[in-house]
Amino acid sequence: MVNDPGIESILVADCGKVITKVLLLERVEDSYRFVAQSEALTTMHFPWNDVGVGVIQAIEDIELITGRILYQNGRLLTPRDGQEGVDAFVVILSAPEPLHIVLAGLVPEMSLESARRAAAGTYTKIDAVFYREGSLQFPQQTWARTIRDVAPDVVLLVGGIDGGAMNPVLELADAIALGASMLEESQRPVLLYAGNALLRERIAKMLGKIVQVEVVDNVRPTSDKEHLGPAQETLERLYIERRLKSTPGVDTLSSWSRLPLQPAASSLGRVVEYLWHRERNPQRGSLGIDVGAASTSVAAVFDSRLFLSVQSQGIAFGPASWVEANGMESITRWLPEEFEEQEIKSLLLNRQLRPWTVPQELRELWVEQAVVREMLRDALRTALPTWSAGEAELHPGMMPYLDPILICGGGIVHMPRPGQALLTVLDGLQPVGISTVFLDFSRAASALGAVASIKPLAAASAMEAGTLIPLGTIISPVGRAKEGDVILKMRIVYEDGSSLDVEAHYGELEIWPLLPGQQATLEIKPHRRFDIGLGGAGKGGKVHAIGGRVGLVVDARGRPLELPEDPDECRARLNRWIWDVGG
Amino acid sequence: MILPYTIVNPLTTVRIPRRLPRQGEVIVGIGESVEPAQTVAQTTLSGEFRIIDVARELGVSPKKAKSFIKVKIGQRVLARAVLAERGGISRQRCRAPIDGRITGYGRGRLLLEAPEIPLQLSALVPGVIVDTWSNRGVLIETTGAFIQGIWGNGKESYGVLKMAVRNARRALRAKQIDASAQGTILVGGAQLDEEAIEQAIEMRVQGIIVGGIPPELLPKIEAVDFAVVVTEGVGVIPMSKAVFRLLRSMDGREVAISGLQEQRSGGERPFIIVPMPTESGNPIQPESPIVIGSRVRGMRWPYMGISGTVLELPSGRSLLETGARLPGATVKFDDKSVAFVPFFDLERLL
Repeated sequence: MVNDPGIESILVADCGKVITKVLLLERVEDSYRFVAQSEALTTMHFPWNDVGVGVIQAIEDIELITGRILYQNGRLLTPRDGQEGVDAFVVILSAPEPLHIVLAGLVPEMSLESARRAAAGTYTKIDAVFYREGSLQFPQQTWARTIRDVAPDVVLLVGGIDGGAMNPVLELADAIALGASMLEESQRPVLLYAGNALLRERIAKMLGKIVQVEVVDNVRPTSDKEHLGPAQETLERLYIERRLKSTPGVDTLSSWSRLPLQPAASSLGRVVEYLWHRERNPQRGSLGIDVGAASTSVAAVFDSRLFLSVQSQGIAFGPASWVEANGMESITRWLPEEFEEQEIKSLLLNRQLRPWTVPQELRELWVEQAVVREMLRDALRTALPTWSAGEAELHPGMMPYLDPILICGGGIVHMPRPGQALLTVLDGLQPVGISTVFLDFSRAASALGAVASIKPLAAASAMEAGTLIPLGTIISPVGRAKEGDVILKMRIVYEDGSSLDVEAHYGELEIWPLLPGQQATLEIKPHRRFDIGLGGAGKGGKVHAIGGRVGLVVDARGRPLELPEDPDECRARLNRWIWDVGG
Repeated sequence: MILPYTIVNPLTTVRIPRRLPRQGEVIVGIGESVEPAQTVAQTTLSGEFRIIDVARELGVSPKKAKSFIKVKIGQRVLARAVLAERGGISRQRCRAPIDGRITGYGRGRLLLEAPEIPLQLSALVPGVIVDTWSNRGVLIETTGAFIQGIWGNGKESYGVLKMAVRNARRALRAKQIDASAQGTILVGGAQLDEEAIEQAIEMRVQGIIVGGIPPELLPKIEAVDFAVVVTEGVGVIPMSKAVFRLLRSMDGREVAISGLQEQRSGGERPFIIVPMPTESGNPIQPESPIVIGSRVRGMRWPYMGISGTVLELPSGRSLLETGARLPGATVKFDDKSVAFVPFFDLERLL
C-alpha cells in the first residue's frame, strides 16, 4: 500500500460496463473532498475499442468544471504542479467480460456448491457444470465436447474430500484434458484444481502438458467444512491477468497510475471494511451492495472479516435470461400494475441492447425496480451461505444484523426518488434489526475504496465529509402478527427536546420525519413477540438514530416478507407501500 | 458526454472487419480489390469426435490397454478400422466408429476426431483490403449507403433489396412474401410474425430487415438460414423514418446485410450496406458533439425508434414522468411531436 503524505489530489477512473466515471479528490483545508466528477460512456468496445477514450473525455469535462489542466499531449499530468495535474491516478474496472468458467465436480449439493460460491468471489460467468448424472450415457464425451465448444477461460475442478474419492475426479480430469486438447493453444482454459488433496500431483501431471494447471487447497476438505479463500484469490488473480490487463487501451491508463488495476468489487469491499471498523461491533455486520449494469456485488464484513460475492448479472445484462430460467412470476409479483409477459420481455431485451438508457415512463420504471429486487435476492442467495456472521446472526435463515448498509450502483442510485431506492432495497434484502442506510448518490464508493489503497486517510476523510448520503434509519422487527396489530411503540426524542410518540402496525411501512443532518434518540418498545435485535423478542431500549432523505422507517411488514397471493390485492399493497415511501 | 450513435448515412466510406472464427489463412493482400462473393480467408472447423474407451472394450486395465493399440497419434483411419486388438482365445477388437484422425490417448482411451469442415470467409461487400490480421481476417474499405442495426441473428446475406411494406408502421406479413421475394432481402416495417418467417423460408428469401421483432420469436429467427437485421429493438416498433426512407430510396439495388452480434470479444453491430464503390463517401464524425439541429433517435418508450431533430438544449435538468430530473434535449420528432428526452435515451444519427 502506498501512503505518501505528499498526495493531496487523486484522480480516480471507474470504468463500468456502460458508464465511466472520473472523480477528483482533493485536500480542502484539513479534510479531503470530491471536488468534481464527470461521466462518459465506456469506450472499451467498437467503434472505439479503447477504454481510455471515455476516461479522457471525462477528464476533459473535469478540466472544464475546475478550470485546471490535467491532461496534455496525450498524457495525464502527474505529479501535480500548481494548478496543473494531480498527485496520483487510480483505475478501477468492472467493464471487462467476466471470466467464463466451467465447474466440474462430484456432488452438486457439496463440492460443486462450494465451487459455485468460490467462483462468485470475483467476476465470473458459469457456462457449464459437469457431474455424473444417472441419465448421461457417455458423460466424458459430453464433457469433452462442452470444453471444446465453450472454450472457457477456466475450468474449476473440485470434488472428493481430502483423502476421499479419486477415480470420479480423474474421469473428469481426463475429459477436460481431451476437450482442451482439441482447442488451439491460445484458447485452452486454465485448470484450477481445488479438490481432493491426494490427487494434486496426478492432476498436475495429467493435464500439465495440455493446459496451465493451478493447484489450490480443497474447497471442501471435509464434508462439513468449506474453504474458499485460496480458490477465490486465484480466480481474482486470473480475472486481473486475463481480463483487466487485456482491456483495450488499459495500458496507457496503467502507465499513468502508481497502483495496479483494481476490480471494482474489491474496492467496494474496502469501503465496507472501513464502515465496519468505524464501530468495530461484533454484534453487527456492515453491508455494501452494488447493482451495476452487468453485475451485482455484495460485500459484507463480520468481525473484521470481509466476504465478497459477485453475480454476473445486473440491471441490464442478465435479467432477460434470468427470467427465462426462473419464470416471469418472480418479476410480475413486484409490479404495482398489470403487465403482459411480452411487454416485460421486450423491455428487458431492449434494456440489454441499450444498457445506458433510463426509463421515461412509470411502467418501465416499475419493471426495472422489480428486476433490481430480484437481482439483490439472487445475489444474496449466493452470498449468504459464505458468511460467518458470528454474533451478528439473529435468526437462522434470515439476514444477520447489518448496520450500516451501503447502497451503490446505477441500478439503484439512478432511481428517481430516494424512497423508491429504499423500498427496493428493503424488499430485496429484507434486513432485520436496526440499520442506517446510506446511498452512494455521487457513485463514489468504489473510488473511495481505490483511494483507500493509496491514501487511507483521504478515503476516510472523504467518507466522513458526506460523500455517502444517509437515506435514514430503518427498524425491521422480526415476528408474526395479525394485519394492523400494534407491534412496536416508540418515542422519538429530537435534538431540540421535542418528542413524538408513535406506533407501528403489522403489515405497514411506517415513516416519521427525521431529516438529513438531524439526529434523535429512540425509545423503542417492541411487542413481546417481536425482536428488533436488542437482546431478543420483546426487548427494547434507547437507540441513537440519524436522519436521512427518507427519514425514520419502521418496516413492520414481517420477516420473511410475504406478498399476498391474490394479484389484485398484491398490486394494491405494492401501490400502498410505494405511496408510503413518497411515490 | 459522448453520446452513442447509429450510422444511417446515404453515402459514406466505412471499414468492415471480416474475421475467421479460428486461426486460418488470409488469401488476399492489402490494396487488393475484392467482390462480395470472393473468398478473403479460410480455415477449418472442428467436426465430430469420439472418445473410444479401449480399456473397457477390451476388458483390460487402462495401463494394459496401451499395449493393444494398433494406431498412432496423428494417424488417419476409416470407419470400422481396427484401433486396438487383444489376441488369444477370445479375440476382441476395438473399431473406429467414424472416419477420422487419432488425436489423443490417455488412461485407456483414444480420441478420434472426424475430418475438419472447411470454412471460406467471403468479402460480403465490394471494396479494397486496407488491413489484414495474420491468420485471422481482413479489413475492407467500402463506400455506399450504410445503416447500423441493433440486433441480428448472427447470419450474413447478399441480395437485392425489396420493399415489402408501404410504410414503416406496417408489419411484415406472409401474404407480402410471394415468389418474387426469392433471393431478395426484404424490408418489413414495425415487426414480423411467425407465418411471415415460415413464408420467407418457403420462398427462399436471402434476408429480412425489420424495425422490431416479437420476443417469443427470437429462437426461431436465430435458427433460420438467412440473415435478419432489426433496426429498432424488441417488440412492435415502427422502423424509424430515417432508416425506412433511406432503404426505400435504395429499393432494387444490391445490398449486403450482416446480423453478426457483439461477441464475447466485444464488437461490431449488425449492419446494412448498399455498395456504391465508384462514389466517394462522406466521413463519419462520431466524436462530434450534439448541437441544435443534430439528427437523433429515441431509444426508450414513448419515443422508441422515432427519429427527429434537436430543437433546444435546455441547461440544467428537466423533470420526467418517473420523477427523475435529468439533462437532455428538446427534440422535434419526424411525426411532428415535440418533447424533452434525456440524453441517456437519445442517440445521434450520423
